[in-house]
Amino acid sequence: MKFKTTYRYFFLLLLFCYIFNSCTEPYILETNTYEEALVVEATITNELKKQEITLTKTSRFEDKGTQIESGAKVFITDNTGTRYDFKEESGKYISTTEFQAIPGKEYRLNINTSDGRTFESSVEKLTNINPMQNVTATVEPKDSLRGVAIRVHSFDPNNQSKYYRYEYEETYKIVTPKWSPTKAILNNNGTVSFVPNRTDIKICYGSKKSTEILLENTNIQNEDRVNFLVRFVSNQNYIITTRYSILVKQYVESLAAFNYYKTLKKISSSGSILSPTQPGILLGNIKAVSNPNSKIIGYFDVASVSTERIYFNYNDLFPNEPAPPYYTDCVEFCYANCFTFPVGQCPCTHDDKPGVQEDLAIDAVRYFIENGRTFWVYTPCGDCTTFASNVKPPFWID
Amino acid sequence: MRKILLVLFAALIHFSSLAQQTGDTYSFEFKNIDKLKVIETIEASTPYHFYFEKEWLDADKNLISGSFKNVTITALLENIFNNTSLNFYVTKNKIILTQNNVIHEKLATNYFGGIKSDNTNKDPNDITGKPVFYQQYDSISKSSSIKNNNGIIFIGKETKTTEAKFCTITGTIIDVATGKPEPNIVIKVRNKNISTISDNDGKYSLKLPIGTNIIETRSLSHKKAVKTLIVYNNGELNISISENSNQLEEVFIKGKGSKALESVVSGVIAIDIEAIKNMPLILGERDILKVATTLPGIKTTGEGSAGFNVRGGKDDQNLFLLDNAVLYNPQHFLGFFSSINPYVAKKATIYKASIPTDLGGRLSSVFDITTKNGNPEKISGEGAIGPITSNLSVGVPLEKNKSSILFGGRATYSDWVLKSLKNDDLSNSQASFYDGIVKYNNALNKNNSLESTLYYSHDKFSLSSDSIYSYSNRLASIKWDHSFDTRNKAAVILTNSEYKFDIDFNTTPNKSFVSGYKLNETQLLLKFNYLYSDKHKFQYGLTSKLYNVYPGFLTPSSPDSSLKPIKINQEKGLESAFYVSDDYKINNKLSLDLGLRYSLYASLGESDQRIYQPNEPLNDATVVQTKHYGNNEVITTYGTFEPRIAARYLLTEDLSIKAGYDKTSQYIHLLSSNVTQSPTDTWVLSNLNIKPQTAQQASIGLFKNFDNNLYEVSIETYYKKSKNILDYKVGAQVNLNEHVETELLQGDGKAYGIEFLIKKQFGRLNGWLGYTYSRTFIKLDSQFNEEKVNNGNYFPANYDKPHDISAILNYKFTKRYSFSSNFVYQTGRPITYPIGTYAYNNANYTLYSDRNAFRIPDYYRLDVGINIEGNHKIKKLAHSFWNISVYNVLGRSNPYSIYFVTDGNGQVKAYKTSIFSIPVPSITYNFKF
Repeated sequence: MKFKTTYRYFFLLLLFCYIFNSCTEPYILETNTYEEALVVEATITNELKKQEITLTKTSRFEDKGTQIESGAKVFITDNTGTRYDFKEESGKYISTTEFQAIPGKEYRLNINTSDGRTFESSVEKLTNINPMQNVTATVEPKDSLRGVAIRVHSFDPNNQSKYYRYEYEETYKIVTPKWSPTKAILNNNGTVSFVPNRTDIKICYGSKKSTEILLENTNIQNEDRVNFLVRFVSNQNYIITTRYSILVKQYVESLAAFNYYKTLKKISSSGSILSPTQPGILLGNIKAVSNPNSKIIGYFDVASVSTERIYFNYNDLFPNEPAPPYYTDCVEFCYANCFTFPVGQCPCTHDDKPGVQEDLAIDAVRYFIENGRTFWVYTPCGDCTTFASNVKPPFWID
Repeated sequence: MRKILLVLFAALIHFSSLAQQTGDTYSFEFKNIDKLKVIETIEASTPYHFYFEKEWLDADKNLISGSFKNVTITALLENIFNNTSLNFYVTKNKIILTQNNVIHEKLATNYFGGIKSDNTNKDPNDITGKPVFYQQYDSISKSSSIKNNNGIIFIGKETKTTEAKFCTITGTIIDVATGKPEPNIVIKVRNKNISTISDNDGKYSLKLPIGTNIIETRSLSHKKAVKTLIVYNNGELNISISENSNQLEEVFIKGKGSKALESVVSGVIAIDIEAIKNMPLILGERDILKVATTLPGIKTTGEGSAGFNVRGGKDDQNLFLLDNAVLYNPQHFLGFFSSINPYVAKKATIYKASIPTDLGGRLSSVFDITTKNGNPEKISGEGAIGPITSNLSVGVPLEKNKSSILFGGRATYSDWVLKSLKNDDLSNSQASFYDGIVKYNNALNKNNSLESTLYYSHDKFSLSSDSIYSYSNRLASIKWDHSFDTRNKAAVILTNSEYKFDIDFNTTPNKSFVSGYKLNETQLLLKFNYLYSDKHKFQYGLTSKLYNVYPGFLTPSSPDSSLKPIKINQEKGLESAFYVSDDYKINNKLSLDLGLRYSLYASLGESDQRIYQPNEPLNDATVVQTKHYGNNEVITTYGTFEPRIAARYLLTEDLSIKAGYDKTSQYIHLLSSNVTQSPTDTWVLSNLNIKPQTAQQASIGLFKNFDNNLYEVSIETYYKKSKNILDYKVGAQVNLNEHVETELLQGDGKAYGIEFLIKKQFGRLNGWLGYTYSRTFIKLDSQFNEEKVNNGNYFPANYDKPHDISAILNYKFTKRYSFSSNFVYQTGRPITYPIGTYAYNNANYTLYSDRNAFRIPDYYRLDVGINIEGNHKIKKLAHSFWNISVYNVLGRSNPYSIYFVTDGNGQVKAYKTSIFSIPVPSITYNFKF
């Protein structure tokens, strides 16, 4: 018996060494041969509006932020001879007139940069128009978590749409949990005084756009029916604590565009350890006319779109269940020198040095009063504007 | 011996003063008396005195009777010594008797070397008319410095007028230990083109020219016996031989010698399985394919990669043959172990160039692996117990010395351990494999023999808990060898191979599925050898191979699944070829190997083939029509003439130059969109839209042996061009794709390199050092953006590793202890590098460089091992040895892959994966019985 255990231990050690000893460590990137390329985001839809196109530049790893390619001449032509011009406006190129993509028409994107590079796309047609049926929010388990699953349901009886891409924008109401009518401020002479607190920091709205490429295709299914999990929010996520809204956009894509997005998604993920994906420059449907070595990234996508917004309250989906934890830990604390207390009986977790003055100076804490005793909390617990906006979005319905 | 010499000497000294008296006549009457008595009688009544060795007469018990009236002494002696091995010489009143040889009165005219001038054009076996002298033997033995403890053996009796040019020697070969006759022993005459083989009763018959002959026996199982014969006449000679206890190592040393230098073809590597016994082991496994990668020109993409790249060839361009049948996946567990049990393998021959004409169907190389036969005499076996696997092979004789059967098996116990683990992640993981082989051989009779092999290997692994992958090889081969006569031989080979894999993907009920792939091929090969003359040896034959590919299916696991079942129709193809080659020896220095193979491939129905618009990229939008072909209807055919030419010129005895040109074609292609080969890559046949790949290679090499073949040095260089090499569009989806041609690109390849190898064959310190400089490029050009990579220019292939150094060194401290080491250095392979970022759709993405524009860090690794042999007692249950080795002693964290991830915050991070980043020790116990 003893031998068996010893052997097993020995064997395990070996196995770990051998099979699971694939060790992964960070690797330093180099950018000594950086090449600049133009990045085009251009999705023209059947929605009648001022269409938007963004032109940016690629950047080095160490660069912060994205540079706009400005001063370019951007226009779309169609096969009837119509030309839609775009004007540069706050970092974007916006069409001078409202227009929508019409089925059957052929569109081509043209870009002439200020430094003389010329690009044009291949000719694209609007994809099949097939609005989604609805968006639902249901409580579901996922990977040992419980939460809200936002699903898109769509059906094309003609089996024509097949390739779908999704975007969403979620918006949620935040209620500051430990707002106090009085606020502590630090005076210039180092003393703390109390003033009436602002009331417009009690309710905020957070918002986030999808960053992942969300794709679904039904071509291996019997029918063109979609039941796609577009977003999953765990019941431990503070964003659903009060009221939550999500706007889902469904684009019907062409096979080529779908493949482009799919590949873009694929080459940005790691793949399996033992079979990494072959990366490379992804050539879209836009190419340089003048100099074939000018690199361009992006796809001129002419896609039909449909949108839907839904709302829900936490109590609707999770009645009588405790709310998720807040954005940050909101346990009250106090400042004291614990040497003056017997061991284990000090009520305060924060030392009086550096103390409340210094924390106030950097706006790290807020004053809070409970049962007549003075406490402190971290700032987000007393003021939601520190991480969200207190401006109610125009679409918001309570 | 000394006495004989003295007698002879005395006789020669007196030559000058001698004068013969032949006139006197005598009369004698003998009645049943022995020869000694006869001599005494003659001496008493004549003036003659006899000189002889008494024992010569004792040996001859024949009694003499007869009456002689008025005969000369010569006539009298002729009568008496007739039918004995004794000769006599009469000089004055002395009579000298000699055993076997004749005393000549004059030296032959050519005695002092006149042979040279008039013998050059004569058959060296023809020495008619030349008398045979004892000293002749002496001088021979000195000049060829043969240390010979065996005495000279005299065969037959010399006659003064030898008419026969050749004499027949017969006898029996006997094993000294068992006393039994030994069959199949080769008896060869040194420096003459005469040899024979002992029959089943150990009997042999050899026609020898009269005179001095050195004969030796050759056999794998017995020690060499050398006999020096002085042949005067027909006679008998029994030869005792003793068993060779250490036969295999002996063969390894002798077998090589100047073979590499003298063979006509270049680019061929022979790996002797027994010789790799001492190499440091990887995870305790002795591995033929790992050894192969230490030789110039053979590389893998990296650790844990299943494919091989031979002289700039892709992973799928290598033909792995196990006893003539194709082995589709020669690797276990993603390439960490080879699926060939080292204990049943006999030999691996790797053709990097000069692929023999009877083999074809792959562009770059042939790995021809043959297995051992079972021990035909007694049950014997070998095995090893290692940390990951154990294996055993047992040979059982069925009919002694005629037929035997060999069983080999190997399995890993990793699965059992994984299962017993408490950790959920690990206990849900699997990694197991096994393989088994059965080999049967029967030497039916002198002209026929039969061999048959059955093999199966199976792998099962899961890298995540929701999917199980399994794959298996199965092959069977049967070979019948037949000799029509000594010049004509034939072999009929029938093989069948199957490769398949299955994926069991098990997540949510409506997304779970089972998917699989299967390939089956059956080949018939007829091979003929015709030994036309010493100068021409012809080989010709016919082969035909039927492929059945089941490209894949997908079956949803549950009935309410949203997945649609997929079943892609079977593909069929018939690949046939005929070949003829002539091994043409122009003279001793120049030899040619002229070969031609014509391969013909037919893509067969039943199938639906798409026809695309000409001059348009192949995609769903450019389909013109879909054409239906009936069962076995020929869809399209491709034919290729494949010349295979090699030449060798011996500049000196130990320096040769070789050149070769080959063309090869390939009709079956591996689809693998990853950098490295994976077991779930599928093979696809050429059809209307997928063209066959072809390659041409020209090579030239210099081969030199030093110090009596102790050192072997070679430099080889090659240039290779290939066409229609398969590659993929970025983001290609090749699995379960009915129209896979829309994802493929076919481009040109070029590769060149120079390979340097120095080998020390034997001695306490032995091993080899190889260096290769090689480049491999691919070009994917088209008028369409989607079919273009790197703007249509040549770019380095994934496996382009310019510098490659391998060193294998073994040092034997004592008979029991030996040390071995293995060092590898390689330039890092090319990689497509992220060079920047860009924002797209609210997220950051990586901007990549041109394909394969950068390289990962260089690879190097040192392994060391110690072999400890068991004691050398003769009587023990099993011979055994321990092997203790450490893989990657330097602990170099060699990158297996570098990959880049865009994380949740849109930041690009790079990660390096290494598989064995620390020294990995292992210990293996090997035994043999």
